[in-house]
Amino acid sequence: MSVFYDKFERHSQGAGLKGNSTHYCPGCGHGLAHKYLAEAIEELGIQENTVLVSPVGCSVFAYYYFDVGNTQAAHGRAAAVALGHKLSNPEANVISYQGDGDLASIGLAETVSAAQLGAPITVIFINNAIYGMTGGQMAPTSLMGQSTATSPDGRSMYNGQPMRMAEVIAGLDGPVYVERVALFDAKNRRLAKKAIKKAVQCQVEGRGYAFVEVLAECPTHLKMSPEDTEKWVKECMVPIYPLGVKKDLATESWWKRPAPNFEADHFLHAVGASSDTTVRHCDAFPVHLNPADISLKLAGSGGDGAQTAAMLIARAAINEGYDATHIPSYGPESRGGTSYADVHVAKDEVLNPASPHPDVLIAFNAPSLAKFGPTVVKGGTIIYDSSIVKDVPPGIDPGVRVVGVPFTEIAVDLGKAVVKNIVALGALQAATGIFPKATLTAAIGQMLKDKCALIPLNEEAFAWGVKAVEELGK
Amino acid sequence: MAQLKERPKPFLLPDYCKGCGRCISACAKHCITFDKEIDAATGYVPVVIDLDACNACGLCMDACPEPYGLRETPQDVDFELQDPAKLFGSKTPRPEPKVVPNTLIPLPKTEPLVIKGNYASALGALLAGCRHVFGYPITPSTEGAELMAKLLPKLDGTFLQAVSEVAAVNHMYGSGGAGYPCMTFTSSPGFSLMLEGVSYMIGAEVPGVFVNIMRGGPGLGNIAPEQSDVKLACRGLGHGNTHAITLMPSTPQEMLDLTMLAFELTFKYRNPVVILGDGYLGQMTGKVNLPAAMIKPGIPTWAVNGDADHRGNLISSIYLSEHDLEMHNIYLNDKYRQMEENETRSESFMTADAEILIVATNTPARASKGAVQDLRRQGIKAGLFRPITVWPFPVNQLMKDLAHVKHMVVVEASNGQLEDEIRLALSKAGVTQLPVMSHVRHFGGMLPQQTEVLAHVKAILAKEVR
Ligand SMILES: Cc1ncc(C[n+]2csc(CCOP(=O)(O)OP(=O)(O)O)c2C)c(N)n1
Ligand code: SF4
Ligand code: SF4
Ligand code: SF4
Repeated sequence: MSVFYDKFERHSQGAGLKGNSTHYCPGCGHGLAHKYLAEAIEELGIQENTVLVSPVGCSVFAYYYFDVGNTQAAHGRAAAVALGHKLSNPEANVISYQGDGDLASIGLAETVSAAQLGAPITVIFINNAIYGMTGGQMAPTSLMGQSTATSPDGRSMYNGQPMRMAEVIAGLDGPVYVERVALFDAKNRRLAKKAIKKAVQCQVEGRGYAFVEVLAECPTHLKMSPEDTEKWVKECMVPIYPLGVKKDLATESWWKRPAPNFEADHFLHAVGASSDTTVRHCDAFPVHLNPADISLKLAGSGGDGAQTAAMLIARAAINEGYDATHIPSYGPESRGGTSYADVHVAKDEVLNPASPHPDVLIAFNAPSLAKFGPTVVKGGTIIYDSSIVKDVPPGIDPGVRVVGVPFTEIAVDLGKAVVKNIVALGALQAATGIFPKATLTAAIGQMLKDKCALIPLNEEAFAWGVKAVEELGK
Repeated sequence: MAQLKERPKPFLLPDYCKGCGRCISACAKHCITFDKEIDAATGYVPVVIDLDACNACGLCMDACPEPYGLRETPQDVDFELQDPAKLFGSKTPRPEPKVVPNTLIPLPKTEPLVIKGNYASALGALLAGCRHVFGYPITPSTEGAELMAKLLPKLDGTFLQAVSEVAAVNHMYGSGGAGYPCMTFTSSPGFSLMLEGVSYMIGAEVPGVFVNIMRGGPGLGNIAPEQSDVKLACRGLGHGNTHAITLMPSTPQEMLDLTMLAFELTFKYRNPVVILGDGYLGQMTGKVNLPAAMIKPGIPTWAVNGDADHRGNLISSIYLSEHDLEMHNIYLNDKYRQMEENETRSESFMTADAEILIVATNTPARASKGAVQDLRRQGIKAGLFRPITVWPFPVNQLMKDLAHVKHMVVVEASNGQLEDEIRLALSKAGVTQLPVMSHVRHFGGMLPQQTEVLAHVKAILAKEVR
C-alpha cells in the first residue's frame, strides 16, 4: 500500500523494527479505518493531491502513517480546518478524520456548519462510544448505562442520551452522502471499505460533502478483548446506531472554483480606484473657518443622511488636496436612534478626528441641536433644519451664528425627502463658504457616478440649499 | 500481483503483529492461532498461520488493523529479514518542494480613495495577495468583512462567513497551512474566541493576519473604541509560549499600509500577525493612497498544499517528547528574538529636544500629536513617541527619545495596558531611572482628547514650577 509511508518514521518508535506498526492499541478500529482510507486514496489515484486533517484524540497521529499532505487540528476543529483548506485550495481532496469526542462534542458547531455548507470535503467519523486518548471518559455517543471514567455508574438520563451523528448530518441539506458502517465482521468491513471509498469519490467528483460514521472498537477503554469488543459493537451499538446509507443524493458535479484574479485593471475597477485626475476648484484653504483644521459635526436621526453628507465633505476636501476624516457614530447598533458624524478638514494632517467642539454644526433635528448646539465654538456656525426645529434652544454661545434652513420642506418640494442632506450641504456652502460650490457638486457627482440619473435631482437640492441661505442674507 | 494466477496467501512478520486476534475470528478455515510465546521485541503474543490449510480467501488480511500486519506477499520472501528497507524495497524519493515566488503586479497611479479604516485594511490585504478571508460579524470591525464579501467574488477569491470566531480561526489554520495569505476581521470578544486557534497557528507556524478593531470591555462591554486588548495581544495569545508581531495603526492610510506589511511579516516569520485598531480607526473615513504594486502570492516550500511537491509536509503543533518540545520552544524563542531585533517600528514627532514625552498609539496618538503642536506653539518642549509595533516594543527608539525627557505621559483608552508594556520594555532594557510617568486614560468607549492631553501637561508643568 503506497499511501502509507514505507516506514513510520514520524513515529517515536519509527527507527526500530516497530517502525511498521501503529501506535494504536491491539484490535483498535482506527487501524482498520486507516487501511480502508489508504486503499481508497490509492484506488482513486489521488495520493498526489490529498490532504488529511487529523484530529485530537487517539488518531491525532494519523500523519505518522499517511503519505499525503498532513495537517493536525485542534480538538474539534478538524472540519473547520478542512473547510478552510478546501476553499483556498479547491483542487486538493481534503479528508477530515475525527473521533466522537472531537466531532460530536467539542467540535459539534464546526461539524454541523461544515456539513451544512456542503463543500466537497470527506469526513470520516470514528464512533467508538468513548473518549480514547484521555482515558475512557463518556462521549456524546456512549450508550445508556455504559460505565465510563466520567459516568462510573453508567450513563443515565442526567448525562443526556447517545447522539446519532449520521442521522443528524443526514438531516441537513448540505451533505450528499452519509452512511454508517461497522468493522466487526468480514461483511461489514467490506461495506466500510466501500463506503469510505465512495465518500472520497464524492469529493473527487466535486459532488459535495460526504460523511461516513464508522462504529469502531476501542478494546482498551471498553475493557474487553478485541473479540468481545467486536461482539459488543454488534450487539449493543448497532441497535442504537443502525447501519446503512442515511443519505445518497444523485447530485451533479458542481464544485468548480477559478483561480484568484490578480489583474491590475480588474482590481482597480473592483475597488473603485481611478487614475483620472480630479479637477481642483479651490485656490486656498478656508482659513476664515479655522487656520489649519476645521471641525464639523453633523447630527440627526438615522436616515437623515448625516453620514452621507459628512462623507461628501471629506471627499470634497481630499479632492482639493487637503486631509480629511469622517467618524460616524450610530445609536446602539442598527436599532435606529440618533446618529452623528464628526468631520475634520485639515490643511496638512487631521490630528484630532473627533469634534467635541466643532466650528460648524449641521443639526437635522431638535435633540441634536439641543445636545450639540452648546458645544460649537465661539465664532462658529450652526445650520439646522427649520422645517423640523421650531425653536432654537438656549445655551448656545452668542458668538455663534445660527442659520435655519428648511431642509426637509425643500427636499419634499423636490419630490424626494431623502435629499435633505444635500440641501444641507448647499446651505453649508453658502453659509460658510467652506469650499466653492463646484467642489461639493463634483463630490456629489463622484458619489453618484454609478447612479447618474440621480445627479440632476441632487444638484438641484444643493442649489436650493445655497439659495435658501442667500435669501436669508438679503 | 493481480496477475498472479494463484491468489496470494497471507504473510506476517511477527514483529508487526499485536496479537489482537481479529484475524483469528475472521478465518473461516481456522488456520490462524496464537503463538506459544510472547514476542520479545513487541511484548505481544503474535499469531501463527497454518498456510497449508489456508485457501487464500484474504479475510484475515482485511481484518488486520495493522497496515503492515497481514499482507499479501510472495511466500519466498525470507522470514528472517529484519531490515524493512530491504523487505519493502527502497523508498522512491519525493521531489523537494519548490518555492513558487511572489510576483509583483505594477499598478498605475490612482487618485486617493476616501474610505474607512476597515475598508483600507481590507484593500491592504487584497493588495498583499490575500484572496481568502474568514470572518464573523462584530461591530466595529464588520465593514472589513462586508467589503471582502463584496469584492472577493469579483476577484475569484473566497469570503466565508464562519459559524463562529472559533471556526474562523480554524479556517485560517487550514488556508494558511496550505500556504495561502488569509485573514480575518474581528473585535475584542471575537478575538478572545480565536485565541485557541492563534496558539495552534503559532505552534504549527501557520501564517495569518488578524485585524482586531478593539471595543469596550470586559465582557460584552460596548461597541465604542477602547485599546484594552494590548495585554491580550502582547502577553496572552492563547496558551503556551506565544508571541506575535502586533501593529497599531493610526490613520486609514496606515490601516492599509500596515495590513500589507502584516502579510509580509506573517510569511517572513511563519507566525500570525495582529493588527490592533481602536473602534474609531475602523470606522474613520480618510484619505488613502494605493501603492505602486500588488502582490500575487506564490507557494512556500513548507505548505501542505495537497500536491505532489508538498506531499511530505506536515502542519502540526504536537511535540510529545519533552525534549522535542523544549527544542521547538527554543526555536520559537529565537524567532521572537529576531522579531525583537528586526521588526520594531515607531514614529517620533518633535522628540529631539523634548522634555515632556507623550506616548500614545492609534487614534489617541493623533490627538496627542495635536496636543504636542499646541504645546510647542506655547513654547513647551513636548514630543510624541508613537509605538507602531507594541510587540515587539520599540524600546531602543524610545530610549533615544528619552535623552532630555523629565516627564512621560502615556495617553491611552485602557487602564494602563500600554503603560505596562512601556515599563516592562524599559525595565528589560535595563533602564532603572525612569522619568516621572503620568497618564491620561479613558475606558468604556471614550478616547482621550487633544484638549485633555493639553490640560494634563499644563497641570504637570504648573506643579513642577511651584
Ligand atoms: C480544548 C481541548 N479540550 C480537551 C482536550 C483533551 N482531549 C484530548 S483527546 C480528547 C478526547 C478524544 O476523544 P475522541 O474524539 O472520541 O477520540 P478517540 O481518542 O476515542 O479516538 C480530549 C477530551 C484537548 N486536547 N483540547
Ligand atoms: S484507546 Fe481505544 S481508540 Fe485509542 S488507540 Fe486504544 S483502542 Fe484505539
Ligand atoms: S487467507 Fe483466509 S483462509 Fe487463509 S488464513 Fe487468511 S482468512 Fe484464513
Ligand atoms: S489481526 Fe493482525 S495484529 Fe491482530 S493478531 Fe492478526 S496479524 Fe496480529
